[in-house]
Amino acid sequence: MNYRSYFKSEWLSLLRRKQDTLNALLFFVMVITLFPLGVDPSSEFLSPAAGGIIWCATALAILMAVEGMYKEDYNDGSLEQWLASGLSISILVFLKVFAQWVMVVVPLLLVLPLLAQMLFLPASALGVVMWSILLGTPALFFIGSIGAALTVSLRRGAVLMLLLILPLYIPVIVFATGAVRAAQMEMAYSGQLAILGAISLVALALSPIMAAVSIRASVN
Amino acid sequence: MRKTVKLDIKNLSIERGERDLCCELSFSVQSGDLIRIAGENGAGKSSLMKAILGWVPIEDGELIYNGEDVTQHRDMLLQDQLYLGHTPGIKNVFTALENLKLYCPDKSDRQLEQALEEVQLFAFADIPAAQLSAGQKRRIALARLWLTDKSLWFLDEPFTALDVKGVSVLEEKMAAHLSEGGAVVITTHQPLLHLSPKVIELSV
Amino acid sequence: MNWTWFHKLGSPKWFYQWASNWGGRCVYVGLALLLVGVVWGLGFAPQDYQQGNSFRIIYIHVPVAVLAQSCYLAMGIAGFVSLVWQMKLAPVFIKSVAPVGAIMALIALVSGAIWGKPTWGTWWVWDARLTSVLVLFLLYMGVMAIQNALDDQVFADKAVAVVSLVGVINLPIIKYSVEWWNTLHQPATFKLTEKPSMPMEMWLPLLFSAIGLYLFAAGVSMWRMQTEVLMRERKANWVKKEVLEHGI
Repeated sequence: MNYRSYFKSEWLSLLRRKQDTLNALLFFVMVITLFPLGVDPSSEFLSPAAGGIIWCATALAILMAVEGMYKEDYNDGSLEQWLASGLSISILVFLKVFAQWVMVVVPLLLVLPLLAQMLFLPASALGVVMWSILLGTPALFFIGSIGAALTVSLRRGAVLMLLLILPLYIPVIVFATGAVRAAQMEMAYSGQLAILGAISLVALALSPIMAAVSIRASVN
Repeated sequence: MRKTVKLDIKNLSIERGERDLCCELSFSVQSGDLIRIAGENGAGKSSLMKAILGWVPIEDGELIYNGEDVTQHRDMLLQDQLYLGHTPGIKNVFTALENLKLYCPDKSDRQLEQALEEVQLFAFADIPAAQLSAGQKRRIALARLWLTDKSLWFLDEPFTALDVKGVSVLEEKMAAHLSEGGAVVITTHQPLLHLSPKVIELSV
Repeated sequence: MNWTWFHKLGSPKWFYQWASNWGGRCVYVGLALLLVGVVWGLGFAPQDYQQGNSFRIIYIHVPVAVLAQSCYLAMGIAGFVSLVWQMKLAPVFIKSVAPVGAIMALIALVSGAIWGKPTWGTWWVWDARLTSVLVLFLLYMGVMAIQNALDDQVFADKAVAVVSLVGVINLPIIKYSVEWWNTLHQPATFKLTEKPSMPMEMWLPLLFSAIGLYLFAAGVSMWRMQTEVLMRERKANWVKKEVLEHGI
């Protein structure tokens, strides 16, 4: 095994399991649908709330997608092979998270304009929402990968993983929705986007190391 | 010929929660050696193997590999070994060929197919592993033995789910590896048919 | 620099004996100081010219809230020490301090709500500091939940270290984001680095109760760590001797 063959195989397995990607996307749409149904379908409520609704749904959908990211590798012995390969676990984690990110976020960005319409998001703010998702979601994936690695050996680790990880998502959600709100009020939003990018970079640098420690501890 | 190796395990102690799995165990593995770790269920056969490879923490003891202390950093040891665990890392969504390609990226398709032929899986090369039986999946993993040039093999229960033919093919391959100067450490609770290993007995 | 103390701290036996001497002292001195501070603050300190008597909850709320944050910071540092130097006592520390910190965060939330009623007219306001204490409480719950979920001691220790370390790295970002998100609360009342804006008769009792509470929490944590050390080292000879000589 080397990094290249691993990355290729990760892509292949994600492409073979398109249903997982589709499920995350459907979950995202489902959560968004709950807000007009559960709170208020009028454009007076939805239009200002759209950024927040989209981001809450994104965070939940990503948690769902990330939660099981190592499950199969754990069950079929692939994680043991990671350790035996002598390759850096952090880099393997990075490659895996990157592939996962592309597989979930690209389709999500594709359906976003449609959902933005349904939530009466002003057209001028759509670009900011897209940018915030592009810059903010890497942090969600990388932080989530730590929780997934910690709970991979537990049979019912999903809820525990949510409890561990969701509080850490708060800054991303705050700054992302802040950027969208600023754009809706026609104020400057580049600062918030820059912070999102910075958080993602920090998460990118530190999370693979933490996830690697957790994977080592999980496999025994 | 394979690279010559010498692994000394000195006074190794492993603990698992409440239980001492092994206490002050010493043995050595060198080129040409076949070591069988034996013991009942739960005696800690797999744990001993994983402790040597570094993912079960050791309580006490030293590992010397080719004269160097690798107790803290196993990189040198990991470079020269091939490990097949109880669940050998075969992905259900991949075909037999794709699974091998992941682990042996520098081999040509022809070589991979030859290896699959050695384990009688050539006809199944393009079928997803999910549709294969447990024994067939294990044989995909075992095919890696025909493709590797590593000296030190760690095989955890390699005979599980294999039929009689499969067992003898694997034993032949192990014998060939030993005569080339390799070394094999296996865990199994049943004795080998044709080979006579050094036995490390673990008690519960 | 002399590092012997650092290596000694890695030895459970040395710690156990050290804590037997200091744990009790910390608890009793802490309790005494806390009592002085609280009685002084609640009974004798002057009224606040704006909030009247309701501000007096500050003598409980502020020390508790600050302690809740300090505990998490300490856990994060212990998590780092545990992962990098594999010091045996670090996971023991995290495990013992987490419930103490969680209770402090809970008291801070409750006392904050009680303070909020006369000040803002509602029990809960989504203000920056209340919200970040709520998040802090959730982080504590996460640490304790993973501790309880994992049976394997070695794994649980690693996991808890990872969670505390990641939490500590995130905590300032969370605090900053929440503050940016909303600032309704009055500015911080008590800072060690700045000259306090309160008169001395008002902040001196606060200082007493804060130091008292820190000592008390330190002592209680030491007791908890001692129990944990005894349990983990139960096979060691010194524990057998200790139990035979002094009982449990």
